[in-house]
Amino acid sequence: MGFYLIQTLNAVAFSVLLMLCGLGLSLVLSLMNFVNLTHGASYLFGSYVAVVWLGSGAPWWLAVPAAFLAAALAGLLLDRFPFARFYGRNHLAQVLLTYGLSVMFADLMRLGFGAEIRSPALPDLLRGVVFVLGMPFPIYRLVLILAGGVLALVLWYLFDRTIWGAVVRASVADRRMVETLGLDTSRVFAVVMAIAAGLGGLSGALGVGMLSAYPGLDEEILLHALFVVVLGGLGTFRGTVAGAFILGFAMTFARVWLPEFAGFLTLLAIALLLVLRPDGLVAPRLRQV
Amino acid sequence: MRPNLLTRRGVLLGTAGVALAAHCGAPAVARSEPLRIGLLTSLSGPFTSLGESMRAGLELLIADAGGQMGGRPVELLVEDDGGKPEEGLRKVRKLIAQDGIDVLGGVISAGVALAIRDVVTEAGLPTFISNASANALAREAASPLVFRPTKTSWMLGHTGALWTFQNIAKDGGLTVGADYAAGREYIGDFVQTFQEQGGSVGTQLWTPLGTTDFSPILTTIAAEQPSFVYAFFAGADAVRFLQQMQEYQLQDLVKLIGPGALFDQEDVVPAAGSAALGGINTFQQSPTAPAAHGFVEAYRAARGRLPGEASTAGYVTGQVIRAGLEAVAGDPSDRERFRQALLEQPIETVIGPMRFDPRNNQAVLDIYVNELVAGPDGQPLNTVVHTYAGVQDPGPAG
Repeated sequence: MGFYLIQTLNAVAFSVLLMLCGLGLSLVLSLMNFVNLTHGASYLFGSYVAVVWLGSGAPWWLAVPAAFLAAALAGLLLDRFPFARFYGRNHLAQVLLTYGLSVMFADLMRLGFGAEIRSPALPDLLRGVVFVLGMPFPIYRLVLILAGGVLALVLWYLFDRTIWGAVVRASVADRRMVETLGLDTSRVFAVVMAIAAGLGGLSGALGVGMLSAYPGLDEEILLHALFVVVLGGLGTFRGTVAGAFILGFAMTFARVWLPEFAGFLTLLAIALLLVLRPDGLVAPRLRQV
Repeated sequence: MRPNLLTRRGVLLGTAGVALAAHCGAPAVARSEPLRIGLLTSLSGPFTSLGESMRAGLELLIADAGGQMGGRPVELLVEDDGGKPEEGLRKVRKLIAQDGIDVLGGVISAGVALAIRDVVTEAGLPTFISNASANALAREAASPLVFRPTKTSWMLGHTGALWTFQNIAKDGGLTVGADYAAGREYIGDFVQTFQEQGGSVGTQLWTPLGTTDFSPILTTIAAEQPSFVYAFFAGADAVRFLQQMQEYQLQDLVKLIGPGALFDQEDVVPAAGSAALGGINTFQQSPTAPAAHGFVEAYRAARGRLPGEASTAGYVTGQVIRAGLEAVAGDPSDRERFRQALLEQPIETVIGPMRFDPRNNQAVLDIYVNELVAGPDGQPLNTVVHTYAGVQDPGPAG
C-alpha cells in the first residue's frame, strides 16, 4: 500500500517536472505558433545559473527567481534578434534557426560552465525525507510538486483569465486586427518569449536537484518537452498538463512493473495515443496558416 | 617535477628541431623523424569530459617523457570521434591514410573500439584501446595488433562478486544497471561469479541509458531492503543515481557496490559529493594506489583535480607505448618485433604492474577494491582496501 502510494508520488513529481519543461515550449508554440528548439538550452542555462548561485553562498531561495530572470533576459534578447523576424515564417525556417542556435548555445555553455557534471549544493532543509507508511519520500520532490502546481495555476490564470492573456491570444489569432486597436503586438510577443524562456530557466533551476546539469541534458529535456506538448495537443494549457501527467505516470509505472521495457512501453503509449487522438489529448480548434 | 600546460606545449613544438640537431649522426634516418601517435577520443558528444581528461593524461605523460620516446621526438595528433562508431571509423581512416600515424591510442566508447577493430587490423597499425572495456575485444574480436592496457568488464564484475560474497552478503542482494552493452556485461559477469561462489542474487532491475528519474527503482529498493545493491551506471547517470539514493536516504541503509565507473574520482565523485560516501567499487586504478602516487600529484598540479579513469588511462596508454618503443629503439615499423617486445616485458604503470596476455593482447592487471571515505579535504576519496593481484580475463576460450 505504502509502496504504491510512494510510487504515485514519484510519478506526480516526475510529471510536474515534465509539465514545467513543457509549459515554456507550449507557450510559444501554441500562443505564437513559433517552434522554439532552444527551449532545452534555456532549461540547461537555468540549471547552471542555479548551481552557480547555490555555490556562491547567496540566499538559496533566490536561486529559482535568479534563474528565471537570467533565462528571461536571454529570451528577450533573442526575441529582439533574430526570433522576431521569424514569427511569421513557416515552421521549417523556425526549426532551422532555433536548432542551429541551440547547438551554438550548447557549445557556449560547455565553454562557460565546463563539460563536467555539475550538481547544486542544496540547503539541508531540502535534503530530508518524510516517511509515508514507512516508506521514504524526499522533501525536495514535495516542494517541486507544490511549486509546479502553483506555477501552473498562475500561468493558467494569467493567460486564460486576464485581459492581458486575451490580448496575447488575440495577437496570435489576428495580429493586424489587434494592431488596429492600437496595441504593439511585437511588444506582446517579446514579453511572451521572455516568459517562456524564463519558464525554461525556472524549470531548470527546480529540476537541477533531481537531474544535475551537464552538456547534452538540453537535448534530453527538449525531447521530453516535445513529447509532452505533442501528446497534450497544441494550443491548450490543460493539454500540456494532461500530456505531462500521462507521460510521467507511464514512464514511472513502466519502470515499476517492467523496467526492462520502460523505454519501449512509454513510446508505445505515446504512439497509441497519437493514433487515437492525432491532434493531442485536448484538441484545440487550431487554424493552420 | 611540475609540468604545466604552457611548457608542455613548448616542449612538444620545440622537440622536432632539437631532436634533429641531437641525432645528426644517428644511423637510421627514421630515428630523427618524429614519431606520430594518434589519439582517437571524444571531444564532443556524451563523453566529452572523459575525452578531455584522456587527452590531458596522455599529454602529461608525453611531457614527463620530455617529448621523446625510444629516442625519437613524439608528435601527438588528436581526433574527435564524438562517441559515434561511424565518426570514429572515419577519423581512424584519416589518421592512417592522411597523417600516416605510427601508433594509435585512445577510444572511450566500446562501440567505437569494435568499429575500428577491422580497419586498424588490416592496416597493421599498433593500436592501444585505453578505456573501452567490451569483453569481446579480449575474446572473439581479439586482434594481434590491438592491445588493451585497461580492464575488461569481466575483470571488474568478477572481482566485485568475489568481494561482495566474502565481505558483504551471500544472498538477499539485488542488481540494477543501465540497460546497454556495458551494463549487461558488468552485471552479467557479477551475477555469474556470485552464483559460482554459491551465492544467490535477488531481483535484477534494468533501466534505460540516460534515465533521468530513478525514483521508481529507489522505492523498489526501499521496499525490498536488500543486503546490498550491485549497480552499474556511468557519467551523469551515476551522479543522478547516487544523489537520488541519498535523496531517498537509502545511502546509509543499503551497501552499494559497483564497477569503478560508478564512483569515478574525476567524472562522478566531484559532482555527487557526499552522496558517494560509503560506496565500494572494484577498479583497475585508484588515486590512493601506491603506484599512482607521483602521477596523482602531477595531474593535480596540471589540472587542479584528482585523476579518474579516463585521464589515468591516457597516461597509462602513453606509458605502454613508451615502454614498447624503448624496447625497439623507437622503431615500431617491424610490427612483429614491436608486438613481441610488448608481450615479453611486464610494464610498471601508474595503475600497477601490467603484462599482456599473449592470447589476446589483453592486460593482466591488479584490481583494487576501493571504498569511498572522506579524504583530507572532506570530499569522498577512493581508498584502496584490498588488491586482487594479477586478474586475467578468461580470454578467447572463456
